[in-house]
Amino acid sequence: MSQLQTRFFTEDKRYVVDDVPFSIPAGSEIQDLSNVINKLLEAKNASHKKVDFDFLVKGLFLRTTLILTGSYDKTARIWSVEGKAVLTVAGHTDVVKDVAWVKRENLTSLLLTASLDHTVILWEWNSEKNKVKARHCCRGHTGSVDTVATDPTGTKFCSGSWDKMLKIWSAVPTDEADEIEEPADRPRKKQKTQQLGLTRTPIMTLSGHNEAVSSALWIDSDEVCTASWDHTIRIWDVESGIMKTTLTGSKVFNSISYSPLCRRLASGSTDRHIRLWDPRTKDGALVLLNLTSHTGWVTAVKWAPSNEHQLVSGSLDNLVKLWDTRSCKAPLYDLAAHEDKVFCADWTEGGLMLSGGADNKLYSYKYSPCQTDAGA
Amino acid sequence: MAATTSSTSSSDPSPGPEPEPESKPNRSSRKRRTEPVDNPEEELVLGSAPADAEDGDDGDSEDSEDSVYSGLEDSGSDSDDSDPESGDEDRPEETCKDEGDVALDTEVQTEKNLEPQKDEYEQDSSDEEDIRNTVGNIPMEWYADFPHIGYDLDGKKILKPIRTKDELDQFLNKMEDPDFWKTVQDKQTGQDMVLTEQQVALVNRLQKGQFGDVNFNEHEPSVDFFTHEVMIHPVTNRPSDKRSFIPSLIEKEKVSKLVHAIKMGWIKPRRTQDDSRGRYYDLWASEEQGKTRDMRMHVPAPRAALPGHEESYNPPPEYLMTDEERAVWEQQDPIDRKLPFVPRKFSCLRHVPAFERFIHERFDRCLDLYLCPRQRKMRVNVNPEDLIPKLPRPRDLQPFPTTQAMIYRGHEGLVRTISASPSGQWLLSGGDDGTARFWEVSSGRCLKKVEVGGAIKSAVWNPNHNLSLVALSVGSVVLLVSPPSTAADKQVVTATERLLSDEVEPAAGEGPVVWSNAEGEELHQGIRMKIQHPKPVTQVTWHSKGDYLAAVMPDHSSHLQVLIHQVSKRRSQNPFSKNKGLVQSVAFHPIRPYFLLATQRSVRIYNLLKQELSKKLQGNAKWISSLAVHPAGDNVICGSYDCRLSWFDLDLSTKPYKTLRHHRKAVRSVAFHRSYPLFASASDDGSVIVCHGTVFSDLLQNPLIVPVKVLKGHVITHDLGVLDVTFHPSQPWVFSSGADGTIRLFT
Repeated sequence: MSQLQTRFFTEDKRYVVDDVPFSIPAGSEIQDLSNVINKLLEAKNASHKKVDFDFLVKGLFLRTTLILTGSYDKTARIWSVEGKAVLTVAGHTDVVKDVAWVKRENLTSLLLTASLDHTVILWEWNSEKNKVKARHCCRGHTGSVDTVATDPTGTKFCSGSWDKMLKIWSAVPTDEADEIEEPADRPRKKQKTQQLGLTRTPIMTLSGHNEAVSSALWIDSDEVCTASWDHTIRIWDVESGIMKTTLTGSKVFNSISYSPLCRRLASGSTDRHIRLWDPRTKDGALVLLNLTSHTGWVTAVKWAPSNEHQLVSGSLDNLVKLWDTRSCKAPLYDLAAHEDKVFCADWTEGGLMLSGGADNKLYSYKYSPCQTDAGA
Repeated sequence: MAATTSSTSSSDPSPGPEPEPESKPNRSSRKRRTEPVDNPEEELVLGSAPADAEDGDDGDSEDSEDSVYSGLEDSGSDSDDSDPESGDEDRPEETCKDEGDVALDTEVQTEKNLEPQKDEYEQDSSDEEDIRNTVGNIPMEWYADFPHIGYDLDGKKILKPIRTKDELDQFLNKMEDPDFWKTVQDKQTGQDMVLTEQQVALVNRLQKGQFGDVNFNEHEPSVDFFTHEVMIHPVTNRPSDKRSFIPSLIEKEKVSKLVHAIKMGWIKPRRTQDDSRGRYYDLWASEEQGKTRDMRMHVPAPRAALPGHEESYNPPPEYLMTDEERAVWEQQDPIDRKLPFVPRKFSCLRHVPAFERFIHERFDRCLDLYLCPRQRKMRVNVNPEDLIPKLPRPRDLQPFPTTQAMIYRGHEGLVRTISASPSGQWLLSGGDDGTARFWEVSSGRCLKKVEVGGAIKSAVWNPNHNLSLVALSVGSVVLLVSPPSTAADKQVVTATERLLSDEVEPAAGEGPVVWSNAEGEELHQGIRMKIQHPKPVTQVTWHSKGDYLAAVMPDHSSHLQVLIHQVSKRRSQNPFSKNKGLVQSVAFHPIRPYFLLATQRSVRIYNLLKQELSKKLQGNAKWISSLAVHPAGDNVICGSYDCRLSWFDLDLSTKPYKTLRHHRKAVRSVAFHRSYPLFASASDDGSVIVCHGTVFSDLLQNPLIVPVKVLKGHVITHDLGVLDVTFHPSQPWVFSSGADGTIRLFT
């Protein structure tokens, strides 16, 4: 494993260490670094008590990667990379179908959970107190909300639902509830109990799909791309609210992913194939590439955030596959960890691959060009 | 001036003994004194008469004829007055004018007198001419005043014999001459002649009124010219009457009466029998054709092969066999031999032995003649591949389900029934373990489980998008169950709530059915309403509007086999009053107000509005198991326990348009896709067969049915394979539930 030469600085006199380069493993996490500093301080000062440190790298916090998952047990959870459950977000009355981070600032983060109970809830998480609070309950869908996605600026998000609609919402928490016409005969008490955060209504509703919207994502800050069960991928202009492009496939789309690096769309559908599309082609059904190795529905695809050639896919055949688009005949790796259907797959900033499945497990995989390592 | 008077007396031409001129018509001589000839028998044309006229014995008849001919003269003189001696004629003219009646009488008389005139020459015959006198057969009176009586052959006058005898001489002669009595004067020659004995005898016979010919037998047996028997042909040749040529007024009247009666419809004309339609059997209709065909197809008998050089007694040496050839020939089968004999060479014909193969050869030839085909067989050379109907390849008929995509596990025991929600997000299943489960289609996760405490025979999702309700049949109870509240829009859920919580009093008449609302734990599970039936319910099905629900209670002995419930009014009715057989399955027509009812052998289609049987589909199935109606409504498929799937085209016939026998075991369930041209059948052999079935909107084009895929996956458990099959409402996916406790999704 490669080593890095590191120097540690601090302005706090108590924790100053020698200004010499240390050689530390490249894969070290905050905890490892903290241990290193503590040992150094103990070596200098026997009375040193163990302190957890935060680290700044080039003026940015070196943060712990946190993983947000939604589950069929009606909750969403936040996990650390090590597999430690940080928080359980409970509040939905039905299955959580999709989750998304809105933004993570120092201590408070905003997260979104979309559920089968037709709502999306915007949560505020205070990491210091480890408390989560529902800020807004986004109502408007009349079917199961299958997908949410936050725009690159973190001020809006979109949600796609089984009711065939794509809705754009504001992601900025406010203190006023949007007006919503509730049926007057509804018991007040029931309404209260159901109220989970302030009600929010969509900024915009985009209709055009003939079947359920299964996946949505932001290509850039004013373009949304959706995949649907009606065999189409549509690209919408959020500013004007019109549909720009339709890519027509032959099967139901389960998942799409967009890579800004290579500017390609990858789609997973209810056949065995992963297809790569060029979204800039106008009204064409031009499939650039077929990646075929799965034997079941491809339920999840995700481009690597830092590599324009890599993508990970999950399928109902219990396999997660890592692909390199330069070798389209076979995947780079088959990650056979799941014992049941794989429903989602993602990458972390640090290059870890994640996958969740019907066996109630979340796996993370580390990938390096020479070897791979799978761990729970 | 034409004097057309006629002589009075008829002259008898026969050589009568006394030709005496009794009456002399000599009025002409009276009229014309200058007339040279006064012929007592004949009247003459003026001017042609002989020159000198002498009235010998005019006087006797003068008085009698005077008035008689006055009328004639009168008419004649009217026309022509050129007569130079008209003075004489004026007188009778005047008298005639005075007495017109007499004139008329005379006319009649003259007519009578005219008739015998015609007959004057009738007996003339030049054959009888007396060659001694050449004057011919003229009245000899003409020569009365002449000394001669005619001319002989030389042109000399024949002088009359000198008759110097007076009456005394005559008397003396008469006394003396014994032949006097038979002496007659020959008028031609004027000579006396004695009649011969024969002539006398003839005269005697004639005088006695006998036939002249002695040998004539007047009493010969008569042969009737007309027989006394009634014959078919008319005897008379009487010309037709005029009335037979002109239309009869009576008939015309009759015909017009009949025509009027026909027009008014009082009588109906007899139907003309159509002879062309087999009243007479045309015995030879096919004979000619067959004969010509035989002629055309005739194959002549094979000819005997002509002898060649090999058969010569002295063939050229190249035709003789070498030793090797002969060895080969002997080794060969007789059939394979090129020649049936070995050519041999003899120096002369005398050395040729008897032909020992004669009998064989004759026998072979007879066999050839006997066994040769006498008719050309029309063998059709068809490639078997061409007989298979041209069906499109399954690859061109995509999309259709091809692979198993998901397995929904959880049921213990048979999964008897499945139903997909109208939105396509959910799947309802019911099985023998007494649970109804709601599955999420895309993830295969069971999101709700309802315990009903009995095997579920049938579970159907309400097809109405505005209602969120499912019906389950458990034993003799039909349960109306709410799906998970998130399975539909909130407004739909509230509408369903309102429908179910409406307090509707059941209809007054106590039917066999009890409606009740579920309470307590059952309500908590989602069971909303219970409909208690008198007998076990095997099938429930919804009308496409979602308000009516049909339940099937098969029973051989009762007419209460089908009940139709109306959910909004909590009302049940039995549409049928007769038991037409054990009801297997029912379905509502998707568009029209029809109700399809499958009994064991047939499918009946009832019109619910008119309340009558509109069609009866007679498949050749032994025992129908299931029934599905095409969403367009004109086609029905039926699965049966004898492995068949019958496709009925309702517009075409009541017989199956096509019968598919691809399953090896009983067909349990059939289903149509709502939008794709697909249908599927599930069978006990553990397979689901998906067929492409395009129904064309063009009525002339029959449905195109192509089996496209056999889907296998279910494990056969207790000899049961796939129990139910249903399509996803919007995708070309098919769900199947099996006896192995799984539900499988094929995409």
